Amino acid sequence: MESLVSLTCSEQVVCNSTLPTASIWQDVLAQAVTGELMAAMNYSALSTICDDPEEVTDALEHAQGEQGHAAAFIAEGRKIGVEVPNNVNARYWKRIREAFMRCIATRDLIACLIVQEIMLESFAVASYSRVGKAAPGSLGKTFAAIAAEEEGHIDHAMEILRTERALAPERFDDKVYRLHLDVMTTLTEMVAKECRHGQCDLCHSDCVKPSLSEVGLSTTELRGASLQQYLKSLDRLGLPGEVTLQWVTQLPV
Amino acid sequence: MGHATACVTPREGLAPERRIAMDFALIGHQESWRSAADVFAVLRGAERTQLPDDEIMEIFPWIPPRAVCNVEAFSATGATARGLYIDCFIPPDRLASEYLHDNIGRVRVAAACAIKAGARIVSLGGFSSILVEGNFNHLPVAADTIFTTGNTLTVAFIVRGIRKMCALERRDISRSTLLIVGATGDVGSGCTRCLAPFVKRVVLCARNAKRLQILAAELEADGTKVEIAKSLEQSPFEADIVICAASVASPSLQLGRIAPEAIICDAGYPKNLSPRSDMSGARVFFGGMGQIAGGLSFKPNFKGVLNRHPFPDVAHGCLLEGMVLALACRFEPFSHGRGFIRRERVEEIEAIAALHGIHLAPLFNADGPLKTPE
Repeated sequence: MESLVSLTCSEQVVCNSTLPTASIWQDVLAQAVTGELMAAMNYSALSTICDDPEEVTDALEHAQGEQGHAAAFIAEGRKIGVEVPNNVNARYWKRIREAFMRCIATRDLIACLIVQEIMLESFAVASYSRVGKAAPGSLGKTFAAIAAEEEGHIDHAMEILRTERALAPERFDDKVYRLHLDVMTTLTEMVAKECRHGQCDLCHSDCVKPSLSEVGLSTTELRGASLQQYLKSLDRLGLPGEVTLQWVTQLPV
Repeated sequence: MGHATACVTPREGLAPERRIAMDFALIGHQESWRSAADVFAVLRGAERTQLPDDEIMEIFPWIPPRAVCNVEAFSATGATARGLYIDCFIPPDRLASEYLHDNIGRVRVAAACAIKAGARIVSLGGFSSILVEGNFNHLPVAADTIFTTGNTLTVAFIVRGIRKMCALERRDISRSTLLIVGATGDVGSGCTRCLAPFVKRVVLCARNAKRLQILAAELEADGTKVEIAKSLEQSPFEADIVICAASVASPSLQLGRIAPEAIICDAGYPKNLSPRSDMSGARVFFGGMGQIAGGLSFKPNFKGVLNRHPFPDVAHGCLLEGMVLALACRFEPFSHGRGFIRRERVEEIEAIAALHGIHLAPLFNADGPLKTPE
């Protein structure tokens, strides 16, 4: 499955665009492309633990869809004169991938859906929506369109997960909590104000976070919107609001 | 004290995700960033580094309205009512009218949370009732869930507090000039109707001139001497009893003409009076507060955080009304709309509350318990 990904690490890529903010968009796109490629890898891995042939097809179609998103983002990069790198072994993405693969190792389909569809997609929907509003021209439109598609993924998974939860709510909620501790701490660090533990291995030079304001974005907004979307997704699943509130307020600063 | 459960009946035919056995829900919001920080501190737990204020101010507005904790109210009769406290997560600095649309949206979502939790009666605390102007048509509808603004019990406690202060100060209320700030609001008009027959003169102050005229005419028809002040500076008489019940987004009111030793009840949430008000000599207390003798419990333990008062088991009347009605199995919209609070209704809810050991709280203000004269 790793062959789906062509790793172009950030230090090999330069920005030749004349758009003043192109280098900022390059880093934003790098995160998006890496996320989409990781999602493609995750769905491909998911297909290997599905028992139902329809589920296998579904998962592989999803994988293709995410690859399509990555390609769309790369194309948008070229339009503004930048080559968009990706690095699924970048600090945060690697940790997330490892968490997902632990779910694959135990053949826990439900856990995989929780990680990919609830946690990762919530962040994607929220951050893409915000970028969609801030980014110029077709770049913004592409982010907005992909945000809408990702929201559709969440809706589909919601049905499966709600049914699962109805069978044994306490056990389900415990599972979500364990995954929350594993994955959400990493996602929260990714959208923290600054990368306290060193570079994320995706930004092509200095960390892009301090420059986001130049393109009408901020880590505050991206973090807030992502956590909001995540909480709403957990609400839709039926988890008690007072419980998930504690989970989120206990995430690292 | 026994632990009989008040009026909890299992409900048939609920969707699987809907909780049952929730007698009441309380919808509220934080009145200051300090109280918001305290809530976060409890949620994070003592073992974690507390979030800096700027982090809290950044994350708070993004939190969707939701339950914060479970609440139990214990009646003097031995009954228990179980409920939820739901916070709208309205940022304390965004209560002004420019955020009206967003805030109404938050109250609606909070109401939906209460319905989903299966709450039989829901109290709209603080600004949440002001935002919908007591009009429950703004809220989601559910056959099993009733809403109340809680304003009638709030008025009961304000009026009781005024009487108590007058007694402590040996003030003859029949010789007093009563100024009501926010007179045409639901709480303000209710207080006016309750106290007008007992004072010498009433001065009504509010922003809406037409509503002022209507209220004044109603009182004058009952024989009350009424004056209208369209602003605090324009008050024609020096009031010696003042009730502040205006819906202001932050503590910003500066009183105009008041007597040097006026009794002042600040019943706002957030508080009405500006901390910079010059009221030396005046006797200020926070109005509309009740105390539940049987006690309140919170899970997680927000005791002293959600109800940060110098006495235990004290809460705002608007929130206590929901608990009172739940304990009494009176699942009805006891307080609704604007301008319907009458003395008989105030006496009724106060009597029901008293049956369950819920009374006016000991008087206090920002400096702590009120020092009473020897």
